[in-house]
Amino acid sequence: MTANKQEILAAFSEGLKKFDLDSSAVSARIEDDGILTLEGSTKTWQTAVDIGHMAAKLPGVHNVVSDLTAPGAVPLKRKDSAPYRAMGVVDKADVVIIGGGVTGCAIARQLTQYRVNILLLEKEEDLCEGSSKANNGMVHSGYDSKPASLKARLNVRGNAQYTKWAQQLGFQFNRTGSFVCGFGEEDRATIESLYDNGVTNGVPGIEIISGDRARELEPGLSDGVQFALWTPSAGYAEPYEVTLALAENAVDNGARFRLGCEVVDILTEDGRVRGVVTKQGVILCDCVINAAGLYADEIAEMSGDRFYSIHPRRGALVIFDKENKGKIHTFSGVAPNNYTKGGGPEETPEGTLLWGPSALEVPDKEDRDVDREDVEFILEKGMHLTKGIDPRSVITYFSGNRAATYSEDFVIQNSRKIRGFIHVAGIQSPGFASAPAIAELVESLYLGQNPNAPINTAFNPIRKPEPAFRDCTQEERDRLIAENPAYGRVICRCETVTEAEILRAVHGKIPARTMDAVKRRTRAGMGRCQSGFCGSRVLELLAREWKLDPSEVTLKGKGSEILVRPSRNTGRNAE
Amino acid sequence: MNTLSYDIAVIGGGPAGLAAAVKARELGMDRILLVERDYELGGILQQCIHDGFGLLRFKKQLSGCQYAQKFIDLVAEGGIDVLCDTMVLELTDDRRIYAVSAQEGLLEIRAQAVILAMGCRERTRPQVSIMGSRPAGVLTAGSVQRYINMEGYLPGKKAVILGSGDIGLIMARRMTLEGIEVEGVYEVMSSLGGLRRNKVQCLDDYGIPLHLSTTVTKIHGNKRVEAVTVALVGSDGKPVRETERVIPCDLLVLSVGLIPENELSRKAGVQLHPVTRGPVVDDTMMTSVPGVFAAGNVVAVFDLVDYVSRSGEIAAQGAADFIRRQSAQENMVDTVAGSNVGFVLPQRVSADCRGKEINLYLRVRKPMKDVRADIMCNGKILKSTHYGVANPPEMIALRLVPDGPLDGPLTVDVR
Repeated sequence: MTANKQEILAAFSEGLKKFDLDSSAVSARIEDDGILTLEGSTKTWQTAVDIGHMAAKLPGVHNVVSDLTAPGAVPLKRKDSAPYRAMGVVDKADVVIIGGGVTGCAIARQLTQYRVNILLLEKEEDLCEGSSKANNGMVHSGYDSKPASLKARLNVRGNAQYTKWAQQLGFQFNRTGSFVCGFGEEDRATIESLYDNGVTNGVPGIEIISGDRARELEPGLSDGVQFALWTPSAGYAEPYEVTLALAENAVDNGARFRLGCEVVDILTEDGRVRGVVTKQGVILCDCVINAAGLYADEIAEMSGDRFYSIHPRRGALVIFDKENKGKIHTFSGVAPNNYTKGGGPEETPEGTLLWGPSALEVPDKEDRDVDREDVEFILEKGMHLTKGIDPRSVITYFSGNRAATYSEDFVIQNSRKIRGFIHVAGIQSPGFASAPAIAELVESLYLGQNPNAPINTAFNPIRKPEPAFRDCTQEERDRLIAENPAYGRVICRCETVTEAEILRAVHGKIPARTMDAVKRRTRAGMGRCQSGFCGSRVLELLAREWKLDPSEVTLKGKGSEILVRPSRNTGRNAE
Repeated sequence: MNTLSYDIAVIGGGPAGLAAAVKARELGMDRILLVERDYELGGILQQCIHDGFGLLRFKKQLSGCQYAQKFIDLVAEGGIDVLCDTMVLELTDDRRIYAVSAQEGLLEIRAQAVILAMGCRERTRPQVSIMGSRPAGVLTAGSVQRYINMEGYLPGKKAVILGSGDIGLIMARRMTLEGIEVEGVYEVMSSLGGLRRNKVQCLDDYGIPLHLSTTVTKIHGNKRVEAVTVALVGSDGKPVRETERVIPCDLLVLSVGLIPENELSRKAGVQLHPVTRGPVVDDTMMTSVPGVFAAGNVVAVFDLVDYVSRSGEIAAQGAADFIRRQSAQENMVDTVAGSNVGFVLPQRVSADCRGKEINLYLRVRKPMKDVRADIMCNGKILKSTHYGVANPPEMIALRLVPDGPLDGPLTVDVR
């Protein structure tokens, strides 16, 4: 093993030569388990990321911990947990899941099949505030992942389970299929290799088809497409709808959720998990599942078992006016040439045209900017792939970060150092598609540690979705209003969202406290006027229902208040 | 579902809809319905507590609320049916309206004539390509106006305003009076976007700087706006990176234009005009769908409420005539936006309009001084009006009373 370690370090030094660096700028050490740790600094963040990727590809390297810094980088810092420890024990659970994204919520629901006390902790004031809200909702078919990787295995398996998930959980899911388009012979080799990948990974129905056949399937496809990789199993769901559906079903089956509950330390004793320290106090538990997305490496560090780093890869998305509904159904992309193929045009199950994401390595996990380059890249790519879409009908754009490790694969395993700690890290694309299979895998890891976990005989996998007024027939609308007149008051005009639906969200199983939380549950504010009309009305409802002063209502948690203070003597405030 | 039947149904209780309903009553129409989605009538005038309304019509400086109230009183006096807090969900091309309210439930409203008066909405951040993050503290000027004037709350402490349209200028003054520091107004174009009188009264009087050919390129801050980046705009219309500077602020107010709200019109098959983004109308304000009329900012964005009310009255007259005649006008000629004219309203006029007054509204494309607005037909100048200045933000209203039938398209040139 020692010789091997020296070989790895030598290979790393060799690999460094193609970067323009001072000899002492970057140093590396390797552990017995093949974890390479990098320290030092580089001139740009992209270089730091490139070095991490280079290192992760070296034979014998299992994963990379990179503490490389570069201008703009935010170094990983341990948080001072003393004041929160002092708050004492506030809660107990068998299993604490850290992170309320699609992964954490899927795991929570999966484990409610057992009679164990499950508590999910989310640092933001709503679920689905990280990567899970800012992806394109694609349920990838699985041709893309490296064969034999965890991604490849879980993606194909997860994809196959989406139909059942959608039926059980009552979310919208369209199995639209997807294309990777070839515009000329120069694209053929890439597409053939993706095809081979897909066959190896077991992607059902995968084939390479002619441009004409592709346009039969998707008439909105550009006339320049000569051939395409077609995988009929790919599909789309709304990622926030899926995440919340999972959470609600988990609540129905006994799981508990704490929002605004950031973890600042992990308590261990004799190599075993004992609990977590949160900003709400100490919570005792026997098992911690780290599904913290972009912050999974920081949680791992708190546990004393950090063997990967998360480097955020930002992706911007562009949303079009619903007047484009029906112009594009299936996803189409171009032959890729990067770590991520990025996204292309698609229509969400709601009928919204969505393009993107782009892909950019950024040094700050909280960087959710959209830059001109992102939008230009997305629009250029989309216009290249489609026809008949006016780029001026864009209504909004936003971005999120992929939680990528340097090995660019999922890390789902028991900690080798801390019993009771399970890593679920590096969940980036196709993490949403893989979520059902990730949850299964974590279930088996949990059962491995707790073989006698009692079955929850009352487990009910079914979540009945509440009616959306906009999708109802006139008869159904009549009935809803007769039962509850608040269905007759339309608050969001663009998306036809009624007061009853907003009140339902506010008092739901995962109560909505913020404007964004209401938006994710009801679509109020998602339409073409971008909450210009309904914003003040939703704010008024939130203030009324939570008994807050309007100046306490936030867009997305503390610090994002919409209103600052009352005006002088004007308006309703004076009454 | 309840079914109601009316002679005229007006969608939207703002200035256009109010004027249309009142005029229809004056014309002897019996069964008139006014549908409004807000809690009370008045539309955007409800939140316009500043003065300057009604100079043409009432020869007085009224606030928006006062102006609206004059019509609201007439609606009440006229016994016109009003449904507030009621949202119209759909309009069909045979003049059936589907609406919903908490009080009435679902309604099907059948009308012999429908007047569209839905007004307009504000353009938003993505439509002017501002990059960066998405924090709280980015609001349209109209939203800020609503929060301050109606809800009684201030949405920030230090504001940057993008866009020198009228609402932006009005809000610069309003926010200053409320104790919000207004750092400046930034305008991407090389000339003012709103009325000159508003610049004088709202910016100059308060020492608020106007930065022309400058735009906001980026928003900073994750939870709340912390700053914005502004940059000069080059001759190609694109921001010049070297001129970027960062301005700390906690509020970005957008006054970047209005879009007529025509989702209902589109569903009903009403033909829309690519420049005005409103229905193509004739001189009775009738759209391409017989019996469906349109008035006010849903047709094109007007800058004076007096014009909006006038268009409502014309639409009411048109609707009344349509109901009595039960047929559309024949023998129409087009109006044509000639040199330096962006659009002309209406887009069609009756050819047999001898002795009848035609109101034409138009905007110039670029600012010009010492110009003539010529209305021409078949090479003949029917009317020529002199203007000292013609600015795109200031709509030109022309009146024409032809002394004979029109034998070809009506072209308006401003030169």
